[in-house]
Amino acid sequence: MFVPTKHIILNEHFWISPHRALFWEEEQCLILSDLHFGKTGHFRKNGIPVPQAVYQKDLQKFVDLLQYFQPKQVIAVGDLFHSTANRELELFLKWRTDFPNLSFTLIKGNHDVLSTSFYTAANIEVKQNCWQYNEQFCFVHDLSDVKTLDANRFYFSGHIHPGIKIEGIAKQKIMLPCFYHSGNSMILPAFSEFTGLYNIRPKRNDHIFAIVENKILPLQEC
Amino acid sequence: MNLKKTIGYKVVATWLESQGFKPFSFQQEAWQAIHENKSGLVNAPTGFGKTFSIFLGAVIQFINEHPDKYLQKKKNGLQLIWITPLRALGKDLGRAMEEAIAGLGLQWQVGIRNGDTTTNERQKQKRIAPEVLIITPESLHLLLAQKEYPSYFEKTRIIAVDEWHELLGTKRGVQIELAISRLAGIKKTHPLQLWGISATIGNLDEAAEVLLFPVFRFTEGRYSLVRANLDKKIEIESILPDEIEKYPWAGHLGIKLVDKILPIIEKSQTTLIFINTRGMSERWYQALLQAAPELAGAIALHHGSIEQALRIWVEEALHQAKLKAVICTSSLDLGVDFRPVETVIQVGSPKGVARFLQRAGRSGHTPGAISKIYFLPTHSLELIEAAALKQAIKEQTIESREPMLLCYDVLVQFLGTLAISEGFQRDSTYHEIKNTFCFQSLSLEEFDEVVQFLTQGGVALQQYDDYKKVELTDGVYRMTNRRLMMRHRLHIGTIVSDAMLNVKFISGGYIGMIEEWFISRLNPGDSFTLAGRQLELVRIKDMTVLVRKSTSGKSIVPSWNGGRLPLSAKLGKVLRRKFQESAALIHKEIKPSQTDIEIKVLEPLFALQQQLSIVPKENELLIEQIETKDGFHLFVYPFEGRLVHEAMAAILAYRIGKITPITFSFAMNDYGFELLSDQPIPVDDTNVYELFSDENLVLDIQRSVNASEMAKRKFRDIAVIGGLVFQGMPGEHKKARHLQSSASLLFNVFAEYDPDNVLIRQAYAEVFEQQMEETRLRDMLERIQQSDIVITFPKRLTPFCFPIKVDSFRENMSSEQLEQRVKRMQEQLNQAASGKKKK
Repeated sequence: MFVPTKHIILNEHFWISPHRALFWEEEQCLILSDLHFGKTGHFRKNGIPVPQAVYQKDLQKFVDLLQYFQPKQVIAVGDLFHSTANRELELFLKWRTDFPNLSFTLIKGNHDVLSTSFYTAANIEVKQNCWQYNEQFCFVHDLSDVKTLDANRFYFSGHIHPGIKIEGIAKQKIMLPCFYHSGNSMILPAFSEFTGLYNIRPKRNDHIFAIVENKILPLQEC
Repeated sequence: MNLKKTIGYKVVATWLESQGFKPFSFQQEAWQAIHENKSGLVNAPTGFGKTFSIFLGAVIQFINEHPDKYLQKKKNGLQLIWITPLRALGKDLGRAMEEAIAGLGLQWQVGIRNGDTTTNERQKQKRIAPEVLIITPESLHLLLAQKEYPSYFEKTRIIAVDEWHELLGTKRGVQIELAISRLAGIKKTHPLQLWGISATIGNLDEAAEVLLFPVFRFTEGRYSLVRANLDKKIEIESILPDEIEKYPWAGHLGIKLVDKILPIIEKSQTTLIFINTRGMSERWYQALLQAAPELAGAIALHHGSIEQALRIWVEEALHQAKLKAVICTSSLDLGVDFRPVETVIQVGSPKGVARFLQRAGRSGHTPGAISKIYFLPTHSLELIEAAALKQAIKEQTIESREPMLLCYDVLVQFLGTLAISEGFQRDSTYHEIKNTFCFQSLSLEEFDEVVQFLTQGGVALQQYDDYKKVELTDGVYRMTNRRLMMRHRLHIGTIVSDAMLNVKFISGGYIGMIEEWFISRLNPGDSFTLAGRQLELVRIKDMTVLVRKSTSGKSIVPSWNGGRLPLSAKLGKVLRRKFQESAALIHKEIKPSQTDIEIKVLEPLFALQQQLSIVPKENELLIEQIETKDGFHLFVYPFEGRLVHEAMAAILAYRIGKITPITFSFAMNDYGFELLSDQPIPVDDTNVYELFSDENLVLDIQRSVNASEMAKRKFRDIAVIGGLVFQGMPGEHKKARHLQSSASLLFNVFAEYDPDNVLIRQAYAEVFEQQMEETRLRDMLERIQQSDIVITFPKRLTPFCFPIKVDSFRENMSSEQLEQRVKRMQEQLNQAASGKKKK
């Protein structure tokens, strides 16, 4: 397991893991986004041969996170499952039965198209739109769905798969997945490794936590 | 069998005579060969009856086989398949053939089949096959994806492949090879006759062999090579700047010379101005209008991103001599001739002799006329390329088109196509495919791997649970899932383009297409130029870019990808000789009268180069080590084209890195490359030959950093052709919901979990063969080993290295910033040069 980086938001402690997840210490809560489980299976079913190992690695990473942080609850900020049901989801259900006491909440994302009965069977509580967790913190899949951000609250979201471009000398450019903390919101990187990146253009006072292999690299931290 | 005694010949010759034509001797030669059931290749330029050399041959054959009934016989089935790379050509070709058919009184039908053909028309062609079908490679494969296609091709006698020189060496060419092998396989009764039509290239015999490979076993390798030998006079003239810039940089000089082309445009009926990139063509259009506002309405712009209707309008206007000049890119390289075109201007290096000849040949089409082409340099050093081009044309040094080998992606697609219609069987299909030039060395094992990719996804079965594309039932491989079949049909083809968005006025009105990556860098309110207009980005909605007219003085010209062709090896070789001549001139070994005008006017530049460093001779390799405030530069000048230089730069960086840990940045152009580092670069005469050795070349290529990055770039096209990534039509929403992924993501996945995947292997093979041009790289290293390596240590940047230096910081700057920075550099260097002289 790789060492997480501490980040304080509204006096609460958040641990940023290079495994593309966030652990909220006070609430014993693991926050992830855009897991896209079943994506490789969906591709295969549609005639595009993507090896299953990609998915297995993601799932293993998830289990590692649970074992490391020992959270009481998991919040997925959308796109937990990539598409309609396929055999890869059985693997997920099997895993779910191993953690019966873990509470699991999903903020529905645009990819979450499975039937209600599936979530019930998987013991996942589903929230629509913007979920107000408490007085201070909200969870929403796509931040741009929130018409006006409440200045007294903090928003966690996903959806865009943020990536930051780093230009070195020698014209070498590299795009890294990152946590993007801007004002009173933080956009999480896509948890699944089988996802692309959207190049964000941070403003001056934004915090960026780039993921470089197994480390968190804080950029523009004030 | 004397052709001239046959009734078919007599009928055709009489008709031609009635039209006031006399057959060319090469046409008669081709007709004779077709009459003798031979296959072959016709080598003829555009506009000299190459179409009739094959088409009338087929007609003569038909008349001779039906001497009594040829005037009445209808519904004869598909006789002649005419494959052409250009959709736009279909109509003109069809018109010419129909005229001939009507004149001869035959009952033949001519069908045109390409992406523009209406469904209604397709249905008609399916019910009753026309005798002649003019078709693109993609549409031919679509026919092979139809059930019962074998009966459709039952009667076919001749397959003609037009513009074969353009198709050879491309994946479209491979597509044709595969289609022909299948059609040859269908023919049980009479063997197929294959005919290619090609402009002159360096390897005509090989071109014939590639195309005719499937029928070679019937002919024991014999075929007819029919040469038109029409001697067309070409006159080349360079447009010389009034003052030679001693510090040249690409792209800058050209526009400044705009006034010099006005009189040329004035005195010709119509002039074609060829520009290498779409971005520059937009700028030239603006510049020309600024320089000569009276030309408004009499000049037009023609490139691949401009709306099709507008392009067709431009082509029509060209035919009717309504335009004084058209600024175009390779979009007008091919196709029918525009008779009013009297003059051609090539702006910037054409990078190859064949392309230059082709463009020159677009002018002067009246019999006996001279093709006049002007060369307009975009930087002063480029003038020497004009001298090299003249020399190469004089010596008939023309590039070859290297055929492609083992394109697994095209094979994957082709097998999918067969699986849709009639299915395929392992052994017979393997033998058919092996019967193409491209796949002649394909082993059964490799074939099985490709089939496995289609049926099971890959070798590690547990990895590909749930995968299904093609299934084996009763010994036949078929695709049965309707959704997959439909998607496959939509994606038949090997032309991969960037994701494109339509550009429209917010008030309505279509302008053209633009690359998604370009527009994504702009913000609303920014201005850019497209189709000769200044546009302001309003917003992007539903995959359409909405714009309004811009009044802003500044606008960004899109820099489209793919405009940068590398210098050909043949031209590079002549170019080195011209540099040798320049060196001789500087050393007063030859008199100015003994060399080209272009070299003469460049004398001040060469003098400065010689003063600061040297002008290398043909058997010398020049290396310059220069220290500036940017760091330590190492410039090497092999004159081998940018691709070879890119590879060589990576290898050299890797090899120097073994001596001492060091980080480099690279830059290159067609003349040389640069390594830049923040520490001194340990290259001197003790180790330099070793650094340029061809020992462990392949290993060093693989280890040098760029290989996987390059393979990833190559994989983009492969993934699309191989059916892993779906590209939408311009402006269309991607249809495949939840199936979007980028090729680079897939590349990473395969590279990690299934590195032996055939498509990944192909990506690497393409890097070594095409990107790195391994053989050319090896040739270059051998040449360097034989030559004298001269290392100089100039005090400041030299005329040779300056264009490379400019290119290296071009990328991250807007053109305005770039222009200012370059101007400053030029001034500083010129001051330094003149200051030194005063002392």
